[in-house]
Amino acid sequence: MTWKKRFLRVTHLLFIILLLVQLLPDRSTKEVFTGKLVTFATGVEVVTLLASFIIKKPQSLSLLLDIVGFVYVLLTVWSLATAKYNVLNDMLFPAPGKVINQFVEDRQKILINIRSSVGITIQGFLLAAVTAIPLGLFIGWSARVGGAATYITKFFSSIPPIVYIPYGIALLPTFRSVSVFVIFLATFWPVFAGTMSGVLGVDKKIIDSAKVLNVSKPEMLFSVILPASLQQIFLGCNQGLSVSFILLTSAEMIGARDGMGYYVKYYSDFGDYTRTITGLLVIGFVVIAVTFLFNKLQNYLLRWKR
Amino acid sequence: MSTSNTAVANKIEIKNLTVNYTENRKSFNALNDVSFGVGRGEFVSVIGASGCGKSTLLSVLEGLYSPAGGTVQIDGKELHGTGTERGVVFQHYSLFPWMTTRKNIEFGIKQARHGVKRSERTRIADEFLHKVGLDGFGSKYPSQLSGGMQQRAAIARALAMDTEILLMDEPFSAIDAKNRVVLQELLLSLWEGDGKEERKTVVFVTHDIDEAILLSDKIVVLTAHPGTVNEIVQVPFERPRNRSALVGTEEYGKFRNRLLGLLYNDIRERIGGDEVVL
Ligand SMILES: Nc1ncnc2c1ncn2[C@@H]1O[C@H](COP(=O)(O)OP(=O)(O)OP(=O)(O)O)[C@@H](O)[C@H]1O
Ligand SMILES: [Mg+2]
Repeated sequence: MTWKKRFLRVTHLLFIILLLVQLLPDRSTKEVFTGKLVTFATGVEVVTLLASFIIKKPQSLSLLLDIVGFVYVLLTVWSLATAKYNVLNDMLFPAPGKVINQFVEDRQKILINIRSSVGITIQGFLLAAVTAIPLGLFIGWSARVGGAATYITKFFSSIPPIVYIPYGIALLPTFRSVSVFVIFLATFWPVFAGTMSGVLGVDKKIIDSAKVLNVSKPEMLFSVILPASLQQIFLGCNQGLSVSFILLTSAEMIGARDGMGYYVKYYSDFGDYTRTITGLLVIGFVVIAVTFLFNKLQNYLLRWKR
Repeated sequence: MSTSNTAVANKIEIKNLTVNYTENRKSFNALNDVSFGVGRGEFVSVIGASGCGKSTLLSVLEGLYSPAGGTVQIDGKELHGTGTERGVVFQHYSLFPWMTTRKNIEFGIKQARHGVKRSERTRIADEFLHKVGLDGFGSKYPSQLSGGMQQRAAIARALAMDTEILLMDEPFSAIDAKNRVVLQELLLSLWEGDGKEERKTVVFVTHDIDEAILLSDKIVVLTAHPGTVNEIVQVPFERPRNRSALVGTEEYGKFRNRLLGLLYNDIRERIGGDEVVL
């Protein structure tokens, strides 16, 4: 990449605009922590510039710059609407600097809650993956002709997983186990369905190629059918993953002592909207981070596809 | 040596083979009473119009489909199911797309040659990648190779498995004309070898007459609906063969016309007109 392509980007202009907007006088009646916002944005900009040196692939750089640019625009509009012109109710809508300040103050508490939420999600998700994938492979392979299994799966995956919560609460001892159970069920069906449809869609030619090499049954399932249906399996996993986080945060709002859902619900009950917004933003970023990492894994495992 | 009663036992003996497909509860007769033998170390091509049952015949030899009647014997023993004493090259997807070319070849060796150690498998894989002109492509995935290169790799795997029999179903028909010629010559030279090693027994399906003549010792011409053997023709040209020396000659033209006639008559009879271009 040329020097220009690396550093002459709109994102940096957006950063400057964000800074210039901060020079406008504050009109909010509440404290707005403009300094914190400027420090945060500058930090982001420094990291972005450093990354621009290192990143090799043009697409990766563009992705990063797009995301950062989006954050700058969001912060600009947000501070205009709150701190600068106070067009929104400053009780319900804290200025961005205030949220950043809150995040720094609460960072320990937030970290604990993230850890709890992400931990439960991963546990339920992995449990679903290690059961649904082998089962889907096995049943899909046995029923490559019959379509009944597909309909049964459709039936179960059409049930909104929130329905499972009361059963979980009645059957299981702790909130944590209920959460894991609900996420397990919510993820199981899409992963199972994805695996099944993957198996059913494997090209007969690939299976013939494997057969003429006399592969054993376990090899057929795990060295042939599994990689051949991996894309569909990931489709199911993605679906499961996005459902599980929404589900978990809602469950945490109902009956937990930990977790990001709990954090948001707890403070909104007290009318502490700065913390509520902070919590919501953190949830958003955690979802982005998890999705990003998961996509990385997917791209790596499917690198053989064009 | 075997229970066969022919004077010199054939490597593959196909007797009265009948194959049916069932579709929508109706039985369809794809091959009817097909019989021919393939000698040890012989290269036999099967040609015939599209839909005459060439692939069906090969899928029986591969062990992927069971005939309704008749038998296939290999070394005098009746064939049941797939087996790694037969190396197979398909038109598409012979290689697993999630394995690199080297891994694909290693996997084939692992399946066919028990007791070959891992490091040895890698060495053999690279040796055969070299033989088919794919040096340096061992860590590429099939999707990163051209169609011709994929077929080279598939041939490399079949040869590296060191099976006595090779079964190939139109391995070059998806390749552009120029590369097809190159691949035919590659296969020819690899199969003819240096005369020291025993040649493999090959059954090769094609609908390209020139390809069949260049490569084969014997050509089986099938007729369609149902698939039956129209004629079995010995190819009269000496080995080692050379395309450019062969193609211009009068004998080649005559022989080619004779084969063309066998195919053409069949098609004309079925369609009932003279306006047929092959
Ligand atoms: N799985 C199947 N089920 C039903 N009919 C089939 C099946 N496979 C092949 N057939 C039919 O059997 C006949 C022979 O097919 P086959 O694929 O063996 O022909 P082919 O000679 O290989 O043709 P091509 O040159 O087009 O590859 C065709 O009429 C085809 O429609
Ligand atoms: Mg065919």
